[in-house]
Amino acid sequence: MASSDAELTLVSALSRLRRGPGRGFRFVTSKNEEHYYAYEQIEAEAHRRAAHLAALDLKKGDRLAIVVAEGDEFVMSFLGACVAGIVPVPIYPRATFKGIEGYADTVAHIARASGTRVLLTMETTKPYVEPALSKDCGLERIVLTEDVFAGPTPAFTAPSITPDDLCFLQFTSGSTNKPKGVVVTHANLVANSTAFLGPAGLDRNDDDVGVSWLPLFHDMGLIGFVLGTLICDIPVVLLPTSTFARGPRIWLETIHKHRGTITYAPNFAYALAVKRLKDRDLKELDLSCLRIAGCGAEPIHAQTMRDFAERLAPAGFDAKALLPSYGMAEATLAITFHPRGTPLVTDLVDAEAMKSGEARRVPKGTPGALELVANGVPFPDHEVKIVDVETGAELSERRVGQIIARGPSITAGYFQNPEATALGWKDGWLQTGDLGYFADGALYICGRLKDLIIIHGANFYPQDLEWAVQEIEGVRRGNVVAFSVIRDGVEQLVLAAEANSGDVERLKKLLPERIYETAGLNTAYVAVVGVGTLPKTSSGKAQRLKTKQLYEAGLLAEHGGARATESGELES
Amino acid sequence: MLRRAANLSGDADISASQGDEKMDRPELLKTFQRMATEIAEKDFGHVTEEHVIADLGIDSLGMLELVGSMERELKIAVPDEQLVGIQTVRQLLDLVEKRTKVLA
Repeated sequence: MASSDAELTLVSALSRLRRGPGRGFRFVTSKNEEHYYAYEQIEAEAHRRAAHLAALDLKKGDRLAIVVAEGDEFVMSFLGACVAGIVPVPIYPRATFKGIEGYADTVAHIARASGTRVLLTMETTKPYVEPALSKDCGLERIVLTEDVFAGPTPAFTAPSITPDDLCFLQFTSGSTNKPKGVVVTHANLVANSTAFLGPAGLDRNDDDVGVSWLPLFHDMGLIGFVLGTLICDIPVVLLPTSTFARGPRIWLETIHKHRGTITYAPNFAYALAVKRLKDRDLKELDLSCLRIAGCGAEPIHAQTMRDFAERLAPAGFDAKALLPSYGMAEATLAITFHPRGTPLVTDLVDAEAMKSGEARRVPKGTPGALELVANGVPFPDHEVKIVDVETGAELSERRVGQIIARGPSITAGYFQNPEATALGWKDGWLQTGDLGYFADGALYICGRLKDLIIIHGANFYPQDLEWAVQEIEGVRRGNVVAFSVIRDGVEQLVLAAEANSGDVERLKKLLPERIYETAGLNTAYVAVVGVGTLPKTSSGKAQRLKTKQLYEAGLLAEHGGARATESGELES
Repeated sequence: MLRRAANLSGDADISASQGDEKMDRPELLKTFQRMATEIAEKDFGHVTEEHVIADLGIDSLGMLELVGSMERELKIAVPDEQLVGIQTVRQLLDLVEKRTKVLA
């Protein structure tokens, strides 16, 4: 693996892939058919699609929104765009539980923020994206894969692609109002992939096979199992996310069937597997092939990891395969990895001391202690520091502060959004917005500065959720707050809204319905409080953190005298 | 080059076999109640067709698991596209019933 190849790009990597039996990508469809593409077919197909896309009068640097649900169609179209120097903008392809209007709004917002004029989709999804054309977002054309890639290949000369060229834009899933698109260059992609798949990361070998059901429009799935694996030559088996959702067992069955050596999933999936697997399923599974069971995209719960290892031990699962990882799209993907093949490391700390910014270790068995999972260390040529939230000064071990990161994987910012970029980066250091500390050389994540809600590994911005419910009658615009709390290691959504007492029952029903419609999320609790009750800034803006703190302390006075206590139980 | 048949109607399903598992509507509701109870880990024995799914505390992931359970039990396939805009239990059961009539 020529990680020292200074001119390596995603595109040049396609021609370097070693051909051979089993060296390719296997896509499992929603109908459980397998479509196999050998590496040479991937390269040929990418070049063929590039020629067709260029014939649409798209030039190097132009953006192309891609809304394609079929895995192989998505990947080949994405690669085709890259070969032509066109910049793909993947958008999650399912309206599913949203109304069509709501989904088209999201498409329009992303099209506008990315300056995209052309959108590529398939026949089945066309009805969901078409309304975006009339939303004055700059989108001019919607084209279908069934039409664009049909027929003889047009004449085409691939432009030269260099490491500093923009490869693609990554928008956070669930964005509505003002989505931010992370700018990922080929250099970022190569630096991060060679880091997390190289000797300091997963240390890929020629027998590796990746297995993933992660969404392909999202960093962990796209960079982890498609782009990174192409750059570093790892054959993969890709399952549709909704196939996993319909029956989590398929994840482990696929690893078993294809002798998968590497897989990744957010914490919730490991917990779900433990819940759903029956003893008879275990008898049919041999997971001794799995050398890496990575976990990332959301906070990792120590007990979940232990439960999974214990439950799957009879299936030959090695607990040392578990690999806690930390990262984010702004860093391309991976920032720190737990050392591969080593047992899970956790830290037991005092909950009260944590609130004052100190990670004080306590003995095993201490009641009320917090147990955090070690996320390892940054990669060679990369740095991670903990800095004081106010002053930015570097902090010593066991002091809690903001995690900041620097290195060739760190992207330059958000596309055409200098204000958001200025907030997210300072002197080349990515301000992650996460709180953490170092202990015994390992990074621990213990909180979040930024207003972000992460559920099932997907990011949701409170302002998008608040915006979604503001039109409901009885809700006072600007006086509804969305935040998350952790219950039994699971992050859950809570809404607090000011309203009149007569509206309580109605709002407790309508707010969650709207949230489900917009974001597919369940609302764990709706606190309906009196007008003027929510803490506000001097300019009248509702304060999320203060509201959350009141709620967790049982001090948020709801209508009817009911209060939510720390356990989330109601008491009058 | 891999040829792809355009799946235009969504009804030309390959793997759905016509269920020997034909059940009447009340049985279908009972099946739904049982599966929802298992997936959401809450008792849903009282749920009626009028209920809005979002009110049941199930999120989109739980919904897909529910659909998957019903697919396996009734030996049907419900493509993702057909789940768009399903909000009530009645709409879901209507869809499931429709899919039991789709021929292999």
